Amino acid sequence: MSDQKIIIQVDPDLEDLIPGFLENRTIDLDKLRTHLELNDFTNVQSIGHSLKGVGGGYGFMLMSELGAEIESAAKVKDANKIREKIDQLDDYLQRIEIEYA
Amino acid sequence: MTIKKSESAIKVLIVDDDNDVLNLLETWLIGEKFNVIRSLSGIEALNLVSIHEPDLVITDLYMEGMDGMALLTELHNDNPLLPVIMLSGQAQIPDAIKAMHLGTSAFLTKPINQTEFLDTVKRVTPSFINKSLLNEVAKNIIYKSKEMSDIIEMASLVADNDVSVFISGPTGSGKEVIAKAIHEASSRRNHRFIAVNCGAIPEQLLESELFGHEKGAFTGANVKHEGLFQAANGGTILLDEIGDMPLALQVKLLRVLQDFEVRPVGSTKTYPIDVRLISATHKNLEEAVEKGEFRQDLYYRLKVVPLDIPTLANRPDDIPLLAEHFLAKYAKNNKQEYKKFSPDAMKYLVSMSWPGNVRQLMNVIDLCATLSKNKTIPLSLVKKAVHDDPIHIQTLKEAKQAFERGYLLSVLRITHGHVANAAKVAGRNRTEFYKLLNQYNIEPAAFRDKKNLEKEVNSLD
Repeated sequence: MSDQKIIIQVDPDLEDLIPGFLENRTIDLDKLRTHLELNDFTNVQSIGHSLKGVGGGYGFMLMSELGAEIESAAKVKDANKIREKIDQLDDYLQRIEIEYA
Repeated sequence: MTIKKSESAIKVLIVDDDNDVLNLLETWLIGEKFNVIRSLSGIEALNLVSIHEPDLVITDLYMEGMDGMALLTELHNDNPLLPVIMLSGQAQIPDAIKAMHLGTSAFLTKPINQTEFLDTVKRVTPSFINKSLLNEVAKNIIYKSKEMSDIIEMASLVADNDVSVFISGPTGSGKEVIAKAIHEASSRRNHRFIAVNCGAIPEQLLESELFGHEKGAFTGANVKHEGLFQAANGGTILLDEIGDMPLALQVKLLRVLQDFEVRPVGSTKTYPIDVRLISATHKNLEEAVEKGEFRQDLYYRLKVVPLDIPTLANRPDDIPLLAEHFLAKYAKNNKQEYKKFSPDAMKYLVSMSWPGNVRQLMNVIDLCATLSKNKTIPLSLVKKAVHDDPIHIQTLKEAKQAFERGYLLSVLRITHGHVANAAKVAGRNRTEFYKLLNQYNIEPAAFRDKKNLEKEVNSLD
């Protein structure tokens, strides 16, 4: 994983929402890990589905893509793939830097 | 009609069990000066609708408890014209088709694109209407009366979603014209519009005509036949004179409307269909329901949005416009100079009761244009034309011949022009059957080619 920042351009109208939005994604990460440990693929699938639905609208397209991949992997109970995608999401969330433009 | 009211007065209810989605949609909508009401569940949304009466509802499809589809059904039970946009994280076509048939105005897939979202909101919100849709519906209809304006306005509200429209009105009032205008203004305009007169097709053949049949389904069915529902896939089908549909077939039609699939006669397979249904009748179907001649469940399913076309006598303001339109059309079709009515002749036309409605007016005007030797059509000629063509009711012989010709065309369509099979279906021997075809100048070969087949279907419609 790289330390290089990922610049995300976000609509200034969404500026007030972004901190809360990103905080919720950190909570999602914790939940994903917990559900995965418990082999609770239903809840993993559900969180993946909602990440897919919400990320792109805020400007985080990769978040939607990772959400879709987590959802698909949960459908076939592929724990390794889910773990890999959760790590990618974690890395992504740590590296993003927001520019309001 | 008020085409646009103040944007800030437009209320939008957004329903999603994810707060981050609600936050996002709310921000976008407020940026466009909409008033936003938000809800985290379908049940809560129903309460909010009764309190706030929103102009538009935007809902997620998959939610705990009441999902978007159930919410849509509940909302449209109370107000079938309330526009609803459905959002889904999964682009599953059957869901989208079902949602559109239940009357969704639009179906958007998450993640949502801001521009597409706001364009869709503006397109389906009645207060923005959609002047273009109104113009689209109105462009081929001649009117200026308040009565017809109301009909056109209502038609434009329903044009771009699949809500069932039920057109009633007396014979000759233009029910098919309105149905076609709705189709032409809808997103289905690039697919076929097929009008079927349920009263003109013999009962035994109607099922096969509508839903198709498999090879060997009945005597003479030597070739598989695609029904009109499948032929209209992606487009619109008008079931005219729906009140004449036999009860047994009404059950099957109801199933088609519930499942969005057809099962051809003699087949064990079903085929998905994506067709908008418009129905029409000149009969009082409520009476038919009371008498047990028409199924109540089907009646309610069809009559989500009723359009009651007024008689011509109830919209006299339209008569001069229609008269001029028909005169111009006559002149163009016959490459003749454009004639006009004298003032007293026009006054007489406007004062008539027109029991045969627009169709009768058109016949009378054609007759006047044909008989008039002068550029100005006098009152005396109009009186004669009206007298000669009081309602243009067919004689019994004409009606029998029209039925017989329609029957022969139906049988040939189903047997794909195979005369021996067609004769078997009709219960005649081949020689007799050929005689009938000659009598009506029908060429069976025309039914062996698909393009001609379509031409004939349209000519029958």
